Amino acid sequence: MSSPIKYLVVDDFSTMRRIVKNLLQELGYQNVQEADDGKTAWPMLQSGGFDFVITDWNMPLMPGLDLLKAIRADEKLKGLPVLMVTAEAKREQIVEAVQAGVSGYVVKPFTAEILKQKLDKILQARAAATG
Amino acid sequence: MADTKRNLERLRPLLDRLTAAVSAGDATEFERVLDDLVHGRRKDLFAELRRLTARVRQALEAFQLNARFSELAEKDVPDARQRLVHVMKLTDDAAHRTMDLIERATPLVTTLASKAADPTAPTVVAASTQLRSHLSDVYLAQGYQDLTGQIVRGVIKLVDEVEATLASLMRIAGEATERCMNTVPDAVNGYGPIVPGVDHGTALGNQQDVDALLSDLGL
Repeated sequence: MSSPIKYLVVDDFSTMRRIVKNLLQELGYQNVQEADDGKTAWPMLQSGGFDFVITDWNMPLMPGLDLLKAIRADEKLKGLPVLMVTAEAKREQIVEAVQAGVSGYVVKPFTAEILKQKLDKILQARAAATG
Repeated sequence: MADTKRNLERLRPLLDRLTAAVSAGDATEFERVLDDLVHGRRKDLFAELRRLTARVRQALEAFQLNARFSELAEKDVPDARQRLVHVMKLTDDAAHRTMDLIERATPLVTTLASKAADPTAPTVVAASTQLRSHLSDVYLAQGYQDLTGQIVRGVIKLVDEVEATLASLMRIAGEATERCMNTVPDAVNGYGPIVPGVDHGTALGNQQDVDALLSDLGL
């Protein structure tokens, strides 16, 4: 790893942000920032430097799906891995997220192992893609 | 059916007069009887309209006079929302408190294990591994606050809708009855201390505000 991966955790519940941040730190990822909505996440992403987004779906101002679509539509950000961690578990929603270009999808409540598996898988694919 | 029959009976003399006027070629009498007939019909229509209006007004008055109803619209429903918001805050505080404690407890596992008679004994190693894992699971379990919070938030949204619907019904009832109802359901029993967020409108913040009001009232 050339430089530490910089994560952005987006969730409107501070408890969930803390849980995800803690799990990431346990996995050795110390560079984690938080946003409480897609709307607050967007300017943070625009100012650059993030390598990975973990986002909730159901947020009051800008839902995770819209954030994902905005990322995929942005020339600078479109390649950014986006892992959806959400209580939304309807089949059609997952299909929609995949069609919008989500990199992974974790349904709440989740275990540490599941989060790790998804992260590893996405990071491996990213490493393979960037060579 | 019976009404129609009665109406016909009532109309019969007029109709007879009408026929007679036609037979006699009396145009003036014919016009007069015809006017009477139309007038009678119009009177019926107005009477029916009056009855209908009265019933609508009664219904609306009953609706507004129902103290329970106005209490629901003005107090209980907004209070319900405030209570739900408070539940979210309590669970949020509790979840963070639990996570604080786990963050403090986890390093103690290492401290304790290192002070064991034989820190490398399989029992000590297994126990500390298990304890760390359990603490980690408790941490993760605090995610319940997010899940329950999302559900509660859904109920809050519903409460908002109920409140808006009640408010518009009350407004319609108020306009239609042209009556200013000043129901103060708890004025006699008292409202209790001010609760932030729950008390609104007429509650004053402090003694200064109370004194200012008293002074305005000439006391």
